[in-house]
Amino acid sequence: MKVAGRRAIYRFPLLTRASHWLWVLAFFVLIGSGLQIFNASPNLDASDKSNPARRVLAIGSPADGVGTTTIFGHSLVTTGWLGWTDDGMGEKSAHAFPAAIIIPGYQDLAAGRRWHLFFAWIAALCWLAWLISSAVKGNLREMVLRPSDVPKLWPMQAYYLKLRKEPPPHGIYNPLQKAAYTLVLFVLAPLVVLTGLALSPGIDAIANPLTVAFGGRQFARLWHFAGMVLLVGFFGIHTFQVATQGIVNQMRSMITGWYQPE
Amino acid sequence: MRRRLFLASAAASLAGCGPIGTALNGNDSVRRILASAEGLNHLLIGTRGLAREYRDSDVDRNFRVNGFATPSDTHYSDLVARNFAPYRLIVDGAVERPQAFSLAQLQRMPQQTQITRHDCVEGWSVIGKWSGVRLGGLLDAVCLRPDARYVVFRCMDNDGSGNLYYESLDLHQARHPQALLGLRLNDAPLDPDHGAPVRLRVPTQLGYKSAKWIGRIEVVGSFATIAGGHGGYWEDQGYEWYAGI
Repeated sequence: MKVAGRRAIYRFPLLTRASHWLWVLAFFVLIGSGLQIFNASPNLDASDKSNPARRVLAIGSPADGVGTTTIFGHSLVTTGWLGWTDDGMGEKSAHAFPAAIIIPGYQDLAAGRRWHLFFAWIAALCWLAWLISSAVKGNLREMVLRPSDVPKLWPMQAYYLKLRKEPPPHGIYNPLQKAAYTLVLFVLAPLVVLTGLALSPGIDAIANPLTVAFGGRQFARLWHFAGMVLLVGFFGIHTFQVATQGIVNQMRSMITGWYQPE
Repeated sequence: MRRRLFLASAAASLAGCGPIGTALNGNDSVRRILASAEGLNHLLIGTRGLAREYRDSDVDRNFRVNGFATPSDTHYSDLVARNFAPYRLIVDGAVERPQAFSLAQLQRMPQQTQITRHDCVEGWSVIGKWSGVRLGGLLDAVCLRPDARYVVFRCMDNDGSGNLYYESLDLHQARHPQALLGLRLNDAPLDPDHGAPVRLRVPTQLGYKSAKWIGRIEVVGSFATIAGGHGGYWEDQGYEWYAGI
């Protein structure tokens, strides 16, 4: 197939494209519903049970009209953004995250949990299907960071920073892409799934070492939140790069599978 | 231009979660589809294993009160005033020998102690030392009929709109070795805020299953005709009946 008169390559198989877009959907739903769940108890403690002495993050409202965010004991006034926010019922009140980014857009823990636990399955099953198919087809080999890629990480970054004329030689994906995909797909994705499971009492009873490994139930909730923050960071960098590295070509390749090499 | 539009729409899509989620959440079919995850979780996680038991030194002396505080019903305040002397725990329904247990009778039965963590659905947790009667033992004492499927806990508090709190477990959950009818918390008799005189403890599930102020235990074949039909006060308001996750 030719796009714009030049030879295009079939880069993304259907399953990869389908899981990519399902992940996009699941990403938004899981974050929105996860923040809804967080709002029901807007503290994160580095301990097994709730323990204010080991509080890492607290989003609260010390007085009407004031929202504060406290990280490792340092408080910031975040009125309007965090702590004292739009509650989705036409008013501002003591809610950690604002109505615009929680699902549903008003306080409803029961509904938030339904959305979260359903889309957790979508995301996890997608990951499993993608992993098996990519391993069988061999695409996985192109994506995973190997020890031999590590010395090329800085030269690649230097190329992006225009400190170097040519990128280091690489395959379909450059070393930085490999590092990012490996981190997201094989570190952060398993982290958020395992920590989500670890903070559930039914799982704790079956697999207590899992909960213990993350430092206990509340600590698992902290890791779960931290994993989410890192995934949001990836989302930001990823969309920025798609936007700056030939947005039409990139979007077309993830929709039709066909990518136009430079 | 295209680039800026793309980045702006990516950021805006995050801020659109609330309104879109709200709209979809009102749709019954959407809610039914979302609820399908509960069956899968129940099937795969179920009620297996034992909740972790802690040491005395892990116990929170100030056990945080979950759910509602002391019921305001005169029936209940009368019981408190009389130190629960007239209290009877009625166990009936699909049982061969319905019985009414006084608090003294329950206290004379074999007692089990557990130091377990209470995991609230809101996300916090607290560790307490509980003593009381194993639920499975009590069910054996009244002898279940073959049509028994669920154990329903009828509580003595209402939410102000006249809805009585209730909860339910299936027989497998009710016979779990750690399913306890708690009479004591942290080496003292249960106080009214924590569910006196008898509350349930189900440490393998979220805290709302651990009903407080139990007045009657009714064994049934189905809970479909009780209150909202979902097997519990919070379940009738959209929370999962299976609360292991």
